Amino acid sequence: MADEATRKAVSDIPLLKTNSGPRDKELWVQRLREEYLALIKYVENNKAADNDWFRLESNKEGTRWFGKCWYIHELLKYEFDLEFDIPVTYPATAPEVAIPELDGKTAKMYRGGKICLTDHFKPLWARNVPKFGLAHLMALGLGPWLAVEIPDLIAKGIIEHKEQQNS
Amino acid sequence: MAADWEEIRRLAADFQRAQFADTVQRLSERNCIEIVAKLVLEKKLDVVHTLDGKEYVTPAQINREVRDELYMQRGRINVVDLQKIINVDLVHVEGRASEIAKSDKSTQLILGQLIDKTYLDRLAEEVNDKLQEAGQVNIAELSKTYDLPGDFLTGELNARLGRVIMGQIDQCNRGVIFTQAFVSRHKARICGLFSAITRPTQINNLLNLYGFQENLLYSVLEELVSSGRLKGSVTGGRQDKAIYVPDIYSKAQSTWVESFLKQNGYLEFEPLTRLGIPDPVNYIKKKFKSSKLLFLKSACVGRTIVDQLEASVEEAINSASWVDLQPMLPSSLSEEDVGILLNEVLRAMNVQSSARLLSTSVVSEKFISGCLALFDDIMQQKAQKEVKNNPVFLITEEDVKQASFLLETSASSRKDKRDDRRKKGTEGSGSVKGGGGGNAREIRIRKTKKKSRREEDSDEETSHTSQGRNKLGDMSFLSVEEIMQVLEKKVCDSSEEMLQELAEQILRPLSKLYQEVVSAAFMSTSSTGAGGSRKKNMKDLQEEINNLYNNIRLFEKGTKLFSDETQATIARHVLKTVCTDVTNVLLSLVAAEHMTSDSSTAITSEIRLKILAKLSDEVKCPLMKLHNSLNGKAIEEFLSCLETSAEECGLLLKKGDKKRERQALFVHRQALLEQLKDAEDPALVLHLTSILLFQNVTHCMLHAPGRCVPHIIGFLQSKIPEDQLKLLSQYQGLVVKQLVVQGHGLEKNSSLGEEDSPVVPDDVESLQKELHSLSRDVKDIILAQKKASE
Repeated sequence: MADEATRKAVSDIPLLKTNSGPRDKELWVQRLREEYLALIKYVENNKAADNDWFRLESNKEGTRWFGKCWYIHELLKYEFDLEFDIPVTYPATAPEVAIPELDGKTAKMYRGGKICLTDHFKPLWARNVPKFGLAHLMALGLGPWLAVEIPDLIAKGIIEHKEQQNS
Repeated sequence: MAADWEEIRRLAADFQRAQFADTVQRLSERNCIEIVAKLVLEKKLDVVHTLDGKEYVTPAQINREVRDELYMQRGRINVVDLQKIINVDLVHVEGRASEIAKSDKSTQLILGQLIDKTYLDRLAEEVNDKLQEAGQVNIAELSKTYDLPGDFLTGELNARLGRVIMGQIDQCNRGVIFTQAFVSRHKARICGLFSAITRPTQINNLLNLYGFQENLLYSVLEELVSSGRLKGSVTGGRQDKAIYVPDIYSKAQSTWVESFLKQNGYLEFEPLTRLGIPDPVNYIKKKFKSSKLLFLKSACVGRTIVDQLEASVEEAINSASWVDLQPMLPSSLSEEDVGILLNEVLRAMNVQSSARLLSTSVVSEKFISGCLALFDDIMQQKAQKEVKNNPVFLITEEDVKQASFLLETSASSRKDKRDDRRKKGTEGSGSVKGGGGGNAREIRIRKTKKKSRREEDSDEETSHTSQGRNKLGDMSFLSVEEIMQVLEKKVCDSSEEMLQELAEQILRPLSKLYQEVVSAAFMSTSSTGAGGSRKKNMKDLQEEINNLYNNIRLFEKGTKLFSDETQATIARHVLKTVCTDVTNVLLSLVAAEHMTSDSSTAITSEIRLKILAKLSDEVKCPLMKLHNSLNGKAIEEFLSCLETSAEECGLLLKKGDKKRERQALFVHRQALLEQLKDAEDPALVLHLTSILLFQNVTHCMLHAPGRCVPHIIGFLQSKIPEDQLKLLSQYQGLVVKQLVVQGHGLEKNSSLGEEDSPVVPDDVESLQKELHSLSRDVKDIILAQKKASE
């Protein structure tokens, strides 16, 4: 699966208990509350480990999420916007994270900038329904994808640093 | 429900707050390092990180730490050790250290070590302690123990010399430091030791023996010697061979040498070398430049001895005597040196011609000639004796010996000899035409030549074999011992050795002289025997032979008047006497011509054969025949042989004419008459008388043996008067009787003893009386007749 650091980070994230999607009114609130707690915990953990790498916020209902993520490569910070919706079948189906900026720039991406997660992720997610939540999605899905793809893209010259672009 | 959403909102807010909370303050180690690296890179920060990467250190901190460490390590620390302690990269440590050494005068960086002034001070104190304890320290050793370079140490110690270190550095060898006490102790020891030395000593040995510091020793020694505290000198520089020679020794040496020379007049080299003078000859030459010394092989001799020798030699020469120089010579001189010395003296005096050196004695030539003169008498006597003692034997022996020598000597000399002989042969044959006189002289010249040649030969022989020489010497004259005896008698008070030397010296001239004397004696004797003249020459010989030849012819004539039997007897007698004489004369003549040997009267048939054997063939043949004919019976045969031989020998035989014949007859008669006058023996009287009577009657010479007297008287029977005949026969009877009685008497005396002897003397007396009276009458027959006829 993922590397040791990821595994440790994931194990520090509290597991979720409520199995309910956006359609289940009251239970969804329950679920959303757990989601938020897990995310706060994850962010706190990341900050403690000096490994803060994203900003995330949601709409009022908590069905649509957006924010930023960044990656530091060779002392340069590359920042990308990200967005995703909570699918109706959530939590059975994992949300599809998209980085529209990088749409068409890499093969490991579906149309609309949805990232193509690893083969391991889906069965892993499926096995852990409903214990995994959005924090896990970030840690096991987007984090590794960024760590693999961004340096590659930078090396290929597809992505350029913004400051350099400006200058 | 609404409350739930409210909670969600609150949670979302919390989430946002959590996201924007305190991320800024948190700086990871990684980043921190990066930041510092960047700052260092941009020279905005000057720090050094430790080797384990846990700390950053500022240079000032390193500086302080280095100083602290230096202090902690008591002023001396290795930079490598510093690096370990401070735990930063070595480059920084080194840089800091050198900076400290540069900036701080009291600190130095030596061989990668930081060294403080305090450390050096302490070191100097330590060195001083050591120095005071041991008296001297070696900087090389110090540098080993302190692990510091010698030059640095020397400099530092020098700077502290007299301040911290109480001592001094050796001026000649900067590697050693002494204390004053040590130096003076050393000096005192050296002074004492070298003052005590009385003989040349190898300094090296002393060094080993007493453990002096070599350098110090030499400098101190030089100082002491130059200041005059030590009386002596050092030779050989500052090496192993250096030798200290105390003045007292060289003084003693030179005084010894001087006094020895003064006392003894000579100097031997060997004791000088034993005294330690390596090159005595040069030493002496240098020392006694002014005095003239005579240098020999193993000694030199002063003027005094030489003068003394010269004086005594001169005296010996002037007084025509000899002097033994041995007592005047230093007894220790070797024989060789003595020889050199004496030769030198003689040469210097230029008296080689008038003096001779015999081992250690100088003998003046006059003295030697005087010695030679001593032998004149002996020589004459001996020569005479020798001549009488059948010299042919002697000569032939000599020849034999010579032959043996010739075998020994080289072939060339033998050839010479043969050539010589052949030449002589041809000359001999040539002299047939040349005639007598010149030839004789030639012979004599050759004789001397030959003699000298033999002398040379014998010289060669002596060099080859001393034995041969001795033999020759023995034979030629006296032996050395004999000469010594004679000399001892005449020249008293001389040592035996000297006598022997002298004898050996004069042996040669003596034998030479002797040979001359002998040959002179030979010549004189042979010439007197032949013709009475002092000098014999060919003419005399020839005449003699001629005379004899004619006499023989006349004798033959006389012989023929007798009957056959008597004739044979007489002929044999003639052959035995006169003919033999002729042969001998002839032979001796030939022999003289061919072999230098002189004949004498007594040549027997044996000697004749010997002589013959040595003659050349052409001469030998007829002479051999002649010799054989002597044993024959016929005089004619002998005569013919004689004629041919004489011809072969280059003699001219003249057949006598009437006048000559008559003269010969007369001479013969006169000789017989003379004999008769003096004759006493009755038998001889009878014999002579009968022969004379025969000659008177027949005018023929007769040479007959006593045996034939009866025959002669028988022949005369008819030719002489009655009374004379009677007288003769009576006398004859008496003679016969006397002979018989004499014969009996002898027989009886020998066989029976003295029993009958009283009877016989009576008979004999009466007989002798009768004979005596008659012999006068018988003599008268002839003598009276002669007077009458005259």
